[in-house]
Amino acid sequence: MKNRKPGLSGSGSGILKWVLAAAAGALLVGMLAYGAISAYVIRRAEDNIHNVLLTHRGLHRYIQEIMHPAFFKAQKDQDVALDYYSPIIFSSSYIVRLLHGFYNEERIKDGRLPIYYKMAADNPRNPVNKATAMESALLRRFNEDRTLKEYHEVVKVDGAPFLLHAIPFLETNAACLRCHGKRQDAPLGLQALYPGEGGFNERAGVIRAVEIIRAPLSHERYTAFLVAGIITGGMLGLGLLLLFNSQLRSTVQSRTLALEGEIKERILAENQVRELNQTLERRVEERTTQLQSANRELDAFAYSVSHDLRSPLRAIDGFSQALEEDFAGTLDATGKDYLLRIRRGCGRMGSLIEDLLKLSRSARRPLETSELDLSAMAREIGEELQAGGSGTPTEFIVQPGLKGSGDPVLIRSVLANLLGNAFKFSSRNPQPKVEFGAALEGETVAYFVQDNGVGFDMRYVERLFGAFQRLHAAEDFPGTGIGLATVQRILARHGGAIRAESGPGQGARFTFTLGA
Amino acid sequence: MEKYILLVEDNPDDELLTLRALKKNNIANKVVVARDGGEALDFLHCLGPHADRDPQDLPEIVLLDLNLPKIFGLDVLKRIRAEQRTSTLPVVILTTSSEERDMVESYRLGANSYIRKPVDFEQFTEAVRNLGMYWLVLNQYPHSLGGPA
Repeated sequence: MKNRKPGLSGSGSGILKWVLAAAAGALLVGMLAYGAISAYVIRRAEDNIHNVLLTHRGLHRYIQEIMHPAFFKAQKDQDVALDYYSPIIFSSSYIVRLLHGFYNEERIKDGRLPIYYKMAADNPRNPVNKATAMESALLRRFNEDRTLKEYHEVVKVDGAPFLLHAIPFLETNAACLRCHGKRQDAPLGLQALYPGEGGFNERAGVIRAVEIIRAPLSHERYTAFLVAGIITGGMLGLGLLLLFNSQLRSTVQSRTLALEGEIKERILAENQVRELNQTLERRVEERTTQLQSANRELDAFAYSVSHDLRSPLRAIDGFSQALEEDFAGTLDATGKDYLLRIRRGCGRMGSLIEDLLKLSRSARRPLETSELDLSAMAREIGEELQAGGSGTPTEFIVQPGLKGSGDPVLIRSVLANLLGNAFKFSSRNPQPKVEFGAALEGETVAYFVQDNGVGFDMRYVERLFGAFQRLHAAEDFPGTGIGLATVQRILARHGGAIRAESGPGQGARFTFTLGA
Repeated sequence: MEKYILLVEDNPDDELLTLRALKKNNIANKVVVARDGGEALDFLHCLGPHADRDPQDLPEIVLLDLNLPKIFGLDVLKRIRAEQRTSTLPVVILTTSSEERDMVESYRLGANSYIRKPVDFEQFTEAVRNLGMYWLVLNQYPHSLGGPA
C-alpha cells in the first residue's frame, strides 16, 4: 500500500490540542453559564424572600392600621379595660415573629430549611429584637438614605452560603407614638408589661427598625452548579462530538481519496494487464502462425529430402554398380576400389538421410499417448538386436513390469536407439551386458539403459545429444550421430529428459524420464 | 496379347536403372515408359497421340512413381481408378518416398502395392525381381475384367 492509512490515530498531538481547546471552551461557557445562572437563581431567591417580607409587611399593616384603631376605639368606648394590653393581639413585631416561627415549622415539615427572620431595632421592647452591630449599621443606612428600599448580600454562615435581604421598617408616625412615644402616653397595660424604656421615646420620621430575612442559598447554588455542569458537560460533549465528526469527516475524505486513488491505480493496472494480454495473444498468434509455417516448411523440406535427395543417390549407386559389372574387364583394381568407395559413400548417405527423416518425423508426428508395457517393448527390441548381431550374445537384463505413458511409435524409437547403442558399444566386451530398468527419483520414475561397453569421455557429454555428433570413429562403431538427438527430441516432446553418465571403458548409463 | 509393363517415371536415371534391374532378373516383358502423369493417362485411356490404340490393350502392371511433373502420381492413380475400364488395373506405387501419408493416401486411392525404391542398387534389383515375379508370374487376373490376358 502506497497510501498510509489516515485516521484518528494518525495525528495524536493534533487531537490532544483539539480536545484541550474544546475542554477550555466548554469550561469558559460553563463558567459564564454558572455566573449567569447564579445571578438568576439569586434573583429568584431574592424575589422569594422579598415576597415573604412583603407578606409580613402586610400583616404589620393589618395590625397597625386595622387592629390598633379598633382596639383604641374599644378602650375609648370602654368596651375594653383601659389597663388591658397583650402583645399576642397588639404587638405587630410579636405577632409577625410568631407567624414566622410557624412558617418555619411548616417549612421544616415540608422538608425545607428554615428561614431566619428578625425585626431588628436599636431600642426594642423585647431584647430578642435587639439589632446586631451589622443590623444596626443597616438601620442607620436606611435612615440616612431614604431612597434605599432594600439591601441584599450573600453571606457565609458556618461556611454555607445564605442570602441576606433587608428592608426598612415603617417610618415612625404620630399613630406609632401612642405606644412608642413617651412612656406615660402609652396604654396602661403596655406600661405595666414593659417596665423599661425599650420601645419608648421614638421620634416621628425615623425608621426605628429593619426587617432582616436570611435564606439558605445552598439549594440554589447546587441548582446553578448542576445546570452549569450540565451545560459544560453538554458543551464539552458537543465540542467533542463536533471534533469527532470533523475528524471522522476528514478521515472519510482522506480514505475516500486514497480509495479513489487505489481504484484509479487498479483500473490503470487492469488496463495494462488487458493490453499486455492482448499483446501477448497477438504475439502468441503471430508465433503460432510462424511456427505453423515453419512446420509446413520443415514438412515440405523433409518430403523433398525423402524424394529428391535419394533419387540421385540411387543413380550414383546404381550406375557405379553397372560400371563395375559391365566394364569389369577394362577396370583395374584401383578403379574397382574407387567404385566400391563411391558405393559405400552412397550407402552412408542413404542411412544419414533415413535418420534425418526419422529425426524430422519425431518432431512433426502428432503425439498419441497411451499406456505402454516398456519391459515387453525392450525385450522385443532386444531380441531383434540379438538376431541381427554377430559374435558373443549380449546378456540382456530387463526389469519386469515397467510401465509408462507415451506415444508407442516414438517411445519404441527411443528404446530402439538407446538399446541399439548399448548393444553396439558393448559388442567389443568379451562378456557384453545390457540392462534396462527403472528407479524412483523423488516422485518421478527414471528409466535407465546401462551397458558395459566402451563408454565415452564425460568432457564431451554436451555434444552427445546434438545431431551429427559422434564420439567414436565410424570405422569402430558405425552410426550417423542422429539417434540420440532424435531420442532427446522425442523425450522433450513428452515433457521428459535424458542424461548420460560414463567414462572411457566404464560402460555408459543413459537415464531418462517420460514427464508427467 | 503380350504381357507388358507400364512404367511411369520421369527420372531417366531411375528409368534406366529399373530397366536394368528387370533385365538382370531376366524379366523380358515389354516395358512401356511414360515420362509424366499426362502421358501415362493418355496411354491408358487411349487419348491424344494414343487415340488409335486398342482400348483392350492394357498393361499387366503399372509401376507408378509419385513425384511426377504435370500430374502428380496420386492424381494419376485417382484418374486410373475413376475410369471404369482401368478401375481394377493393378497399380504398384514405386517411389523414393517413405512418408507415412503417401502410403496411406496411395492405399486409400486403391493402390495394389507400395514399394519403396532403396538407394542401394542391389536391394533395388532384389525389389524389382520380387515385383516382377509376383505381378507377372504369380498374380492371377480375371479375363472377364478385360485388360491383360
